[in-house]
Amino acid sequence: MNVLSPAFAIAGKDLRLELKTRDVVASVGLFVLLVVVTASFSFPTGGEGREGVAAGVLWMAFLFAALLGMGRSMAIEKEDACLEGLLVSPAPREAVFLGKLFANLGFTFLVELVILPVFIVLLQLRPGSGTWLVVLGAFLGTLGLVTIGTLFAAMAVNTRGREAILPLLVMPVSVPAMVAAVKVSEAGFSGGMADGTLSWLLLLFGYDALFLLVALVTFQYVTEE
Amino acid sequence: MKTDALQQPVGELRPDAVAGPSSGSRRRLWGIATLVTLPVLLGMAFFYAPEDANQGAAQRIFYIHVPSAWIGFLAFLVVFVASIAFLATGKRKWDDMASSSAEVGVIFTTAVLITGPLWGRPVWGVYWTWDPRLTSFLMLWLIYLSYIVLRGYVPEPIRRAKFSAVLGIVGFLDVPIVYLSARWWRSEHPTQFVVESGDLPAQMLVTLLVGLATFTFLFLYLLSVRRSVARLRAQRELEGVAR
Repeated sequence: MNVLSPAFAIAGKDLRLELKTRDVVASVGLFVLLVVVTASFSFPTGGEGREGVAAGVLWMAFLFAALLGMGRSMAIEKEDACLEGLLVSPAPREAVFLGKLFANLGFTFLVELVILPVFIVLLQLRPGSGTWLVVLGAFLGTLGLVTIGTLFAAMAVNTRGREAILPLLVMPVSVPAMVAAVKVSEAGFSGGMADGTLSWLLLLFGYDALFLLVALVTFQYVTEE
Repeated sequence: MKTDALQQPVGELRPDAVAGPSSGSRRRLWGIATLVTLPVLLGMAFFYAPEDANQGAAQRIFYIHVPSAWIGFLAFLVVFVASIAFLATGKRKWDDMASSSAEVGVIFTTAVLITGPLWGRPVWGVYWTWDPRLTSFLMLWLIYLSYIVLRGYVPEPIRRAKFSAVLGIVGFLDVPIVYLSARWWRSEHPTQFVVESGDLPAQMLVTLLVGLATFTFLFLYLLSVRRSVARLRAQRELEGVAR
């Protein structure tokens, strides 16, 4: 059976639901904006070396956005036994995983797309010719975070801790992706590729590929009853 | 088609036949071996191994610190292999093995994170430095703490076993990437601390090997005790009187 068409159907369902309710993007978007503003007051932003601080703040905000969005997106599947419905459907488990992954990526990218320009203005950054690197870093870093997060969210909603346990699972494992993404964003904010940026990009790429594969293989075990 | 063969046995989660006498006597053997080698190790670490020219007596914690690190790593390797074995076979003994080894591994990693700063303070002048190895062990420790927390949050045994197996696999695969990222990250801020000491004098090497043997016995003993606890708990869960 084709894997991609049911995956797109599931992601489409989530995106349509989101268009009707605007639950995730509104709450997560506002939350991330608040994180950025609070961090701007808390950290020395604006001075020399501000690109490094900004990259760190940006990824803390993105991490929170992804965690909130993914927790919410899996929680709605628990209501009215929607997840069970998906699992008894003829769609293969890989398609269910990819569907939720695409939907989570969609939400997170949307929030990031809104927040990134605001962020650049608020923190007085001038990426200029490094803009493509900021975008590429955001894409690869988010892909890694959301891949791990989608797998773990399917586990977290079935625990007593619900969404509260998701950050505990995602944060330790996602540290290398976060470090690499911060480094790539820092180089982007500073205007382009720096020493070692290529290695960080390759590390992000490898992280994404490895855990995408692992998640596709193991997702069936975390969803079967 | 590939999933059916795997999914079938995962449903049956029975405790394995109660361990025969061999497991108990083997445990006693590991326990005795630890009791014998531990004083030997301490004696060697304090009196046989020569004092390090630069680091002085503080270096002697090395004989506890390094074996703890190796065994901690070994324990998480066992978690990884047992997790794969559990998902492939669905046999409860693999879940018991993985969860037991994770807990024992956290104990050894905790020992690494306590003895490391105690060594670092007199030698480097700081308790902590973001050296790739230190950073990797901190992350290992955090990943397997989250493994233990996760298990505590899932009351259903089958689900708990599957969830933690997935985390046991993902967590271990993450380790080399963590190490690599910590190394590159540090290399941008060169550090004056050189941990590598080159060739060890023979007495130091022998003491280190005795330390490794001691901690291996201790690991096998603790793992065996912890697995028998897991077996008892499994029986209780089957009888429906859990918690």
